[in-house]
Amino acid sequence: MSLSNVKDTSFLGGRIPPEIESMSKNLKDVDQELFRKLLKAVVSALEGKDCREIMKSIAESSVIPQERLSHIIAGMHRVLSEAIRLPASSLKQETFKEDLRELRIPEDFITDFSSVVFGNRRAALEAASSQSDPHLPSLEEFKWRVDVSISTSSLARALQPSVLMQLKLSDGSFQRFEVPVSKFQELRYNVALILKEMNDLEKRSILKIQD
Amino acid sequence: MADVEVAKSLSGLLNGIAQMVYYNKSEITEELLKNELYAEMPQEEFKSLYEKMKGLIKSIAAADMDHAQLEAFLTAQTKRQGGSGLTAEQAAALSRFWKSQRTRVRESLLAQCRWEPTLRGLSWRVDLQTADSYGSADHRGPVALMELELGRDGQQDSDFVCVEFDETKVNIVLKKMADIQESIDRIVHHT
Repeated sequence: MSLSNVKDTSFLGGRIPPEIESMSKNLKDVDQELFRKLLKAVVSALEGKDCREIMKSIAESSVIPQERLSHIIAGMHRVLSEAIRLPASSLKQETFKEDLRELRIPEDFITDFSSVVFGNRRAALEAASSQSDPHLPSLEEFKWRVDVSISTSSLARALQPSVLMQLKLSDGSFQRFEVPVSKFQELRYNVALILKEMNDLEKRSILKIQD
Repeated sequence: MADVEVAKSLSGLLNGIAQMVYYNKSEITEELLKNELYAEMPQEEFKSLYEKMKGLIKSIAAADMDHAQLEAFLTAQTKRQGGSGLTAEQAAALSRFWKSQRTRVRESLLAQCRWEPTLRGLSWRVDLQTADSYGSADHRGPVALMELELGRDGQQDSDFVCVEFDETKVNIVLKKMADIQESIDRIVHHT
């Protein structure tokens, strides 16, 4: 997929999503103050925050009927999520603005949209979207203990060190297991290898970006 | 010829006992050892030989005897009078057996007193995420997926735990492992 193709069609695709069309119709007599309040609420929703209270207070204080407000909010949500979906390198700010102009969205609002998509909020929005990706549980806590068995019921003089590890994972589970010293060496070697692989991979991707 | 046969049978018996007692091979039984190795021997005589060898292996294993200790122990046993004494061939067979099996027997005895699941193995993979349902994700760093195989002693089945790590987490874990290593070295050097 080359970048020149993207230019021909809107970033929203060949068919403009209905929420966005109806937003554009309903935006007519909305003032910028209200628009900014709504935009702020939608952005926090995209960041995964609970914005029911803010929405409620906006709806109560606004002269615009709730039904129209909900069309606007749905459209804003769609515009922003579609724009964030695309990598920053393939959606240019000018294209984005141009596409919104074609939908007859007022210029001031376009500027506000654009500052969300291309401004410093972008990183937070991308991070929030990555939170909801499918993930394996990650490590939250790693505790360890080194024990030496002195003597056991089957071995008079054991004097054998072993490592007890406890992992707390992000799904809330605990994994506790023993690692004999020989296995511990294997584990340590492999973790070091993983880190090396990750570093190598990063070096390679930096080179790729410079190409 | 006969001597070679005797030594062979004896060595088979010792290894068979080790399989039964230490390596959890349930298919090996006292009856099987009798039929395979000492078919000609009267049952009672075999029983006493079997019990004697089993008792000796247990004593040697529980004390985790080194070479000198073993030699002293076996010499004392051969000097004992009567039926409980050890022949020179039996002492030699026990000495050979222990030389080859000591590490493995010790490992098995240690495992018998481990009650937590033990790390049996691990496999891992490093991925670079390129996209997700929200769009491109190629700005994200690599992720390591690690699968730990955990199992309890004496159980065939393993549990598998999968964990995802980003680079920071791998770094933290590696640092902790250096601490663990240091702690192990401290003990091992002092003893």
